[in-house]
Amino acid sequence: MLKQYPTLRFVLMRAGWYFLTFLVAVTINFFLPRLGKNNPVDIIMGKAATGLSNEDARKKEEKYLQEFGLAKVGKDGQLLRDAEGKPMKAGRLEQFGNYIKMCLMGDLGTSFQKYPKKVVDVIKEAVPWTIALQLPTILFGWIVGNILGALAAYRRGVFDKVFFPFALILSSFPFFVFGMLLVYYFAVLLPWFPAMGGYANSVMPSFSMAFFSSAAYHYVLPFFSIFLILAGGQAIGMRSMGIYELGTDYIKYAKWLGLKEGKILTYLFRNAMLPQITGLALSLGTMIGGALITEMIFSYPGLGMAMLTAIQNNDYPMIQGCTLIVTVSVLIANFTVDILIGFLDPRVKAGLQMGKGV
Amino acid sequence: MKCVSVLKKLVVGAALLGLVSCGGGKKDSDGEASGGSESGFARSKTLYLAGSQWGDPNTFNPIAESWQAAWPVGDKFNLMYETILTYNSLDGKFEPLLGTLVSRDNDKVVVDLNPKAMWSDGQPVTSTDVKFVFELGRRFPGAATAFAIDFISEIKVETVDGVERLSFMVDKTKRNNPLVILDHLQAIRIVPSHVFEKLLADNGNDLSAVQKLKIDKDPVVSGPYNIEHSSNERIVIKRRDDYWGNEAIYGGKLPAPEYIIHPIYKNNDHFAIALQQGKLDASQTFMPRIWLKKKDGVSTWYDEAPYFVPGAMPMLLINTTKAPLNDPQYRRAMAAAISYADIKELAVSGYAPDVQPGLIMNQGLEGKYFNADDAKEFGVAYDPAKARAILADAGYKSVYKRGDKDSTLDYMTDKAGNKLPVLSITVPAGWSDWEAMVQIAVKGLRAAGMDVREGPVDASLYWPALPSGNFDLIMHKPAASVTPSLPWNRFESVMSSRNWVPVGGDNKMNENQGRYNSPKDKGYNPKVDELLKKIPTLDKEEDLIAAYRELNKIFMQDQPALPLCYLPEQFYEFSSKAWKGWPTSANPYAPPLLPWVGASTKILWNLQPVK
Repeated sequence: MLKQYPTLRFVLMRAGWYFLTFLVAVTINFFLPRLGKNNPVDIIMGKAATGLSNEDARKKEEKYLQEFGLAKVGKDGQLLRDAEGKPMKAGRLEQFGNYIKMCLMGDLGTSFQKYPKKVVDVIKEAVPWTIALQLPTILFGWIVGNILGALAAYRRGVFDKVFFPFALILSSFPFFVFGMLLVYYFAVLLPWFPAMGGYANSVMPSFSMAFFSSAAYHYVLPFFSIFLILAGGQAIGMRSMGIYELGTDYIKYAKWLGLKEGKILTYLFRNAMLPQITGLALSLGTMIGGALITEMIFSYPGLGMAMLTAIQNNDYPMIQGCTLIVTVSVLIANFTVDILIGFLDPRVKAGLQMGKGV
Repeated sequence: MKCVSVLKKLVVGAALLGLVSCGGGKKDSDGEASGGSESGFARSKTLYLAGSQWGDPNTFNPIAESWQAAWPVGDKFNLMYETILTYNSLDGKFEPLLGTLVSRDNDKVVVDLNPKAMWSDGQPVTSTDVKFVFELGRRFPGAATAFAIDFISEIKVETVDGVERLSFMVDKTKRNNPLVILDHLQAIRIVPSHVFEKLLADNGNDLSAVQKLKIDKDPVVSGPYNIEHSSNERIVIKRRDDYWGNEAIYGGKLPAPEYIIHPIYKNNDHFAIALQQGKLDASQTFMPRIWLKKKDGVSTWYDEAPYFVPGAMPMLLINTTKAPLNDPQYRRAMAAAISYADIKELAVSGYAPDVQPGLIMNQGLEGKYFNADDAKEFGVAYDPAKARAILADAGYKSVYKRGDKDSTLDYMTDKAGNKLPVLSITVPAGWSDWEAMVQIAVKGLRAAGMDVREGPVDASLYWPALPSGNFDLIMHKPAASVTPSLPWNRFESVMSSRNWVPVGGDNKMNENQGRYNSPKDKGYNPKVDELLKKIPTLDKEEDLIAAYRELNKIFMQDQPALPLCYLPEQFYEFSSKAWKGWPTSANPYAPPLLPWVGASTKILWNLQPVK
């Protein structure tokens, strides 16, 4: 089937596998948060029940169980009870069925912890900030890091001797230490930049110059806290890949042919870049999950904090919602890379054309 | 070549973006310094306060649960919806808000509603609104105010000279507790019944459906501010210049700030940084070593230690059903083994006076119930030698790894020579001040030969563990806010057997989580519950003093919990860079709370912009 269209076949095969992975991931996303013994209503009741009599606390607990869909409800809208009069807990499979149904309708449910907020609304508010913070940082960090790494590998000499240790130090800095140092030096000691927030408190979010310049100003420190470390790490990877490629026959041959340095660098770059592209795809996929550490250090809006509190509070719908979009974006990113590599890597391409498939 | 040129373009682009963002930054930094741009909030008209809202706001629905409602709707915040009375924790007096306290006795609490009180849509605030909120629990089980109906049997209304007089009748059969009615009058916010009855009718009389509404667009409120804007970054409220109380309570004055902004920070350090940089005017977060921040304009109630006014008592609750914790002697030995001075200095930066034996503070409003002689006679203070002596007398032996007591503690045996289990102190992981307290306590307990360890758990395990009694010892702060019913409330939270159920199954207790004083036990001390029942109905000062004295004596002898230190109700910190006129110990016109809580709301009418 589709033998004469190897590329299409390749894409479809991959898509099939990814769909299967997606189904498994969605199932895990559902069951993993429910593995623990504690249930979200207990956590809420710990805070909500102070000073209540046992009877009132029980009523309240039942109300939550019903509202969160964690107990079975009869046709008359009343809780179904067992012989002892305790509400019957909804079964896992029943909840799973509901979850799949809601997912298909694009409804991720209502958060327990942020009740009565919809999970979709929480995600909608947070994701633009997360993407705005992460996408440029990851892309620029990746590009700048790779260029510098390739240069260091090719030039060696003084540039490499200075650059390499510097990149090594940068890349081994933990995000949070670096972020805190940035805050301390550039927001506290020299108050050049704001220490926290996505924009100044004195402006309203709107399509105005005042808002965008304030947002850009608040963007600087969080950006550099990720960018520099990321670029350093990428540079080191690229440098070693580059050095490896430099020793290969085709580069030597190109040098002997007397090709221009720029041309050789292009060859070098293309080949050394393959593993880096996979890395880029992975980090683009996971970026949706938010830069938790950066969000905390800069009180920056984003999805990371929402996910952390959701996990801490067994907020099932919120956890499911977050992991679902992380899953989807990781899968999409990986799928794209898979396809891209098919075109970029001559070995894969050759394999395809010979009809071996992947 | 193509590849390289594309990359070049990208790099140039990146550099440009960097430049743009830096350039924009400089402009805005100047703009901010000069007091905000035209689209924003001028500094001289805007008050920045923080510490009451930690995540993005859920809802502004006043009949949602307190933990769900965002600032300034949840809790006893009076900026949008108001309570009938406010309670001044400095002098113990009730101050009028929607109503005035007329009298209280064992049958009823009487208040007069202010006839001038008005909703923002021009309707008067009436007894219908009050009855609606207080009786919601009778109509809907599980309503947020359902707890009130156990205390109030009926609300009687009469009109005297055009003023509505409300009598909250004490429910004699259920709780018989006028004290808690006073708590409710200063905590339960009154909502416009004409709005909510209509919402209920529109939603098929389904309270859950109404509770799901966010009520964040032009809500009908009675308070001096109304919601303007909210996001996951901050909440903005705007002054209502036609607020009824400006005339009726504040002599025609408007509150000074036109806007109040509550930024939402994710990191404790940011409160300190923002206060020091003058970007925040007041906050209520724990900041270690606050004296170092004084030079940057961060002030507190007292200029020197303890800086704050004590109000709450974090403590270790003890599971008194488990050996050896079921032995009062063992519990007393624990109380003698913990260095309270270390906890005070190291865990809470010295923000508290010295802790005394017992459950009553030796100062503030409850200071009059504290008896120093009793504390000396019946209580145990830090005394490691005494701890060892109590343990030895009770037959407990510590076994050390190498035999001598300077080596590592291995385990402990009881009188009969049985090996005792390792005891663990449950504490939510990441609550750094609590964790520090527990660390110091564990150090002392182990040094005295008791096999106790720290048990940090995720908050998702901490909350369920507390009511189920599924712990050995657990950190808790019962009766965290200062209410009219203190210190009764604290005793009730720690010692009451009213709802006593054993540990196990789905059994939960929302007070006395340590299961002290089981009514089914032969050692049951009926005196405790009798006193807890009697105190709210006592009105003579000497009777109260005697009753509290007796209760505290029992607490000290039985030691069902280990109070570790005193902490303020709120860490009230402020900066006078943009606004001046904050209350302090030198000018105590309002209690040390942020200006939206209870009697401290009046701070807003006393502030003046610096520029």
